Amino acid sequence: MSLSSEEAAKSLSQAEEARKRSSELYFYHRSSPHLILWGTIWVIGYGGTGLFPSYSDYLWDALVVIGVACGFWVSRCRGSTTGPKAWRLVALAAIIIFFVSATYSIMRPHFAAQFCAYPALITGSVYMAIGLWSGLRYVVTGAAVVALTLAGFYFIDPHLYLFWMAAVGGGSMILAGLWFRTV
Amino acid sequence: MEQPDPLIHQPVRLKIMAALKALPVGELIEFVRLKAIVAATEGNLGAHITTLEDAGYVVVEKDFVAKRPRTRMMLSKQGRRAYDDYLDYLREIIALSES
Repeated sequence: MSLSSEEAAKSLSQAEEARKRSSELYFYHRSSPHLILWGTIWVIGYGGTGLFPSYSDYLWDALVVIGVACGFWVSRCRGSTTGPKAWRLVALAAIIIFFVSATYSIMRPHFAAQFCAYPALITGSVYMAIGLWSGLRYVVTGAAVVALTLAGFYFIDPHLYLFWMAAVGGGSMILAGLWFRTV
Repeated sequence: MEQPDPLIHQPVRLKIMAALKALPVGELIEFVRLKAIVAATEGNLGAHITTLEDAGYVVVEKDFVAKRPRTRMMLSKQGRRAYDDYLDYLREIIALSES
């Protein structure tokens, strides 16, 4: 049995296509619980801030710690964080929190809606960037989060904006997480 | 030049091997997800997996989740080596034609 170079190239191309598709679905499947987790945290955080504004700092501090700890635990249970990889996830979360906090400190937003919209815009943009390498579903999810955040910021009553972010921002991440679980 | 491995040298089986090789070592993939990647019918995919399992290239695990049967599989060490050798063979053919 001998192969021509065209047949060999075609076989390589088929193998590469299957590899790429497999990696993409694997990444979706792995990240699904994290999206559901952080979507739930958004629902509780934004909803809780809307209901009890004076406790918002404590609420978000607690939720971020819970989110990072649960995310770490989920990854560990699924065997994807052993050794140095586990610390990269924690380090990534710390970098994002530091970046958002540092920007608040420098830019000093004037309105509550600005405080709420900014992390959501960062999150949506990061998802879109991840999607450029890891798959279209991430781009769609990021675009949805950014679009809904901006739509709410400009068109929703400021008093209702927190509840909009809880329902639509958190809800879209939970839905995306469920979407990622499908084949 | 060596001959291609006849077990991998078949379009559906090549896709199966490529899809499984893309996963981290020891990571299992569910049958339904593999079916979506390979785009084969259930019967066809099942037959090819059995061929690869008999050759020792693929490890198949069957269990129940919430009373529903689940079939998962992964590449064996032997399967990973055979797949790498097969890709080397293909690359060698292309390299020879270009030289």
